[in-house]
Amino acid sequence: MEPRTRHFFRSAEKALADHALQVALSRTTAKFLENRAAAVAGYPGFEGARERASRIRQEALDNLDAHLARFLTEARKAGAVVHAARDGREAREIAVGIARDEGVSLAVKGKSMVAEEVGLNGALEAAGIEVVETDLGEYIVQLAGESPSHIIAPAIHKTREEVSRLFEEKLGEPYAEEIGELTRIVRRRLREQFLSAQMGISGANFLCADTGSVVLVTNEGNGRMATTLPRVHLVIAGIDKVIPRLADLPVLLRLIPRSATGQSLSSYVTILTGTRRPGDAEGPEKLHIILLDNGRTGILQGKYREILKCVRCGACLNICPVFQSVGGHAYGWVYPGPLGSVLAPLLLGLPESSPLPDASTLCGACAEVCPVKIPLPEMLVELRADGRAQGLKPPAEVLGMKAYAAMMSRGGILEAFQRIAGVVSQLLFKDGRVRWLPFGLSGWTERRDLPAPAPQPFRKLWKKQRGIRPWKR
Amino acid sequence: MVERKRVPASLFSTCLADTFFPNVCFATVAVLERFGVDLRVPLSQTCCGQPAFNTGNRKEARKMAAKFLTVFRGEEYIVTPSGSCANMVKHEYPVLFRDEPNLLTLAHRVGERVFELSQFLVEILGVTDPGSPYRGKVTYHDSCHLKRGLGVAEAPRTLLRAIPGVEFVEMEESDRCCGFGGVFSVRYPHLSCRMADRKIERILETGAQVVTSGDIGCLMNIGGTISRTGYPVRAVHIAEILAGSEGGSP
Repeated sequence: MEPRTRHFFRSAEKALADHALQVALSRTTAKFLENRAAAVAGYPGFEGARERASRIRQEALDNLDAHLARFLTEARKAGAVVHAARDGREAREIAVGIARDEGVSLAVKGKSMVAEEVGLNGALEAAGIEVVETDLGEYIVQLAGESPSHIIAPAIHKTREEVSRLFEEKLGEPYAEEIGELTRIVRRRLREQFLSAQMGISGANFLCADTGSVVLVTNEGNGRMATTLPRVHLVIAGIDKVIPRLADLPVLLRLIPRSATGQSLSSYVTILTGTRRPGDAEGPEKLHIILLDNGRTGILQGKYREILKCVRCGACLNICPVFQSVGGHAYGWVYPGPLGSVLAPLLLGLPESSPLPDASTLCGACAEVCPVKIPLPEMLVELRADGRAQGLKPPAEVLGMKAYAAMMSRGGILEAFQRIAGVVSQLLFKDGRVRWLPFGLSGWTERRDLPAPAPQPFRKLWKKQRGIRPWKR
Repeated sequence: MVERKRVPASLFSTCLADTFFPNVCFATVAVLERFGVDLRVPLSQTCCGQPAFNTGNRKEARKMAAKFLTVFRGEEYIVTPSGSCANMVKHEYPVLFRDEPNLLTLAHRVGERVFELSQFLVEILGVTDPGSPYRGKVTYHDSCHLKRGLGVAEAPRTLLRAIPGVEFVEMEESDRCCGFGGVFSVRYPHLSCRMADRKIERILETGAQVVTSGDIGCLMNIGGTISRTGYPVRAVHIAEILAGSEGGSP
């Protein structure tokens, strides 16, 4: 997916003007938030669980090499073939190679953000392999020729009315706005694909180092079908997905559904260890696992390491007032919201995505809901500082900041400016309101007034009131 | 009033209140003096540097922060009518000076003494009744940095509820960001206004005559939007409500 992260401003403007998008966003995020609040309220141990989960993820990262090595050994012991991919290109080549070797012409795919990150579908399709998305939201997005706009609710940008029209147009199905009916349509159509596909593709929520297991947390059952019915199962996962022990799962599984959708438990939790064993009723004969680095080792060594604790629950997206207002596509790449505003600059480079860290009021709501306590606002501010250090700031901003710092260097200088502003204010803004500001500040006054500077600043009035002489402070 | 030992404190007036809302500063003074605070106003103070810090311009932020630390290096409490400014000193100065051990120590020492007004009244002075003659139906907006930064949500509510003439009503989503975000409001004005719109919707739903908060930035944003659109509600700083001296708010 070609990043459009640089164009956040324009994309956000478009999103704000898109009425259908606004309806879709407000419906779904409100529901997620309401459910999450109820789920958290109903689980008194939530805060303690966050603390434990955060420590588990930190422990995994602190010793990632060892945990990865252990995972590799255990997964191989259980019959998996494990591949390491340094970047997206390598991951695509490995995946295409596997599909060719296994004689795959049709693959069914469960949700995977890492697959989006490396552009897996495009590569497979270019090699003549048909890939069918089986997550309902992903199916919709694929049918529409779009990309997911949310990490757990890929079609969150679409209203059910739009989906009905899409099904009518692309599938020739009768218009049916009811979500149950829309789901039945997709289920019926996917059934054949599940049964005829030679390969299933999935991501991973976690990789357990001590057992070599791949863990999937899903709601629709498609993940289980895609990973057990076809002869070959291909897993693609970031190296950050490793957790030390299978026993770490319970606390993470309590947090993820509550944080993501507000469920106390997801409909399915699938723990896949190795290939089909003699006597197993189902399961793949071949299991390939691609472990993707794609810049993660670099992140691990730097000051943003904690972002790799992320469990991709999407809570920070749902709670973010900016995400709620513009949706995921405006962010211009695979990972949107506060998570994306940190991760995209780290994976794509800050010059490519410098508007993203600025796309936040630093309200802190994301950090408050993050189940693994990632300090997202601090990271956003840190990235802004990196932007200054790398010379990515507009010269006007830097100049303005220098002037402002000079003005604030002494109380007397500030007071001089305040008194000039006071005089100007009395001349121009008689009713105490500024209705128009020039240049870079015009955005403020487009739909808002600015209070006029007071005729005399507090410091002046205070001196007068308390009889403080200028030379006796 | 019970005779108490006078608590020494310095007013951290904030550059915005100093320049735009002198009445908020005077109201803060009035409330603090009502409860026996021996208040000093250091006149060499300027700005805490938050706009520079939040935009990543750390060199400039450090200059202003160092200045602040010099001005407020004494032993007394530091009280401010703005949650985000207090949060800046308390939580961001240590980030700014993480590589300068001397200033870092000073930042921690100063930071420990910084309080937002309502927090100071309740947590330090133990005020339960602000003794305000204010009358009206009031709703409260949680400033992001006051609530999530400093963890102060109950203190302002306790004080507002204790005013006999105030009918206090909660709004929905009281802690959802109003869209100010400092430079954000100028860089992404449409996004910022969209967030302000939703905030104002929530305020209007309560039927309150007044929305109050403990943060100058939020009140400029909410008040500026109200002023332009003419909604039947006023944005008033909590200091003015506690003092009972509303007059110069946006």
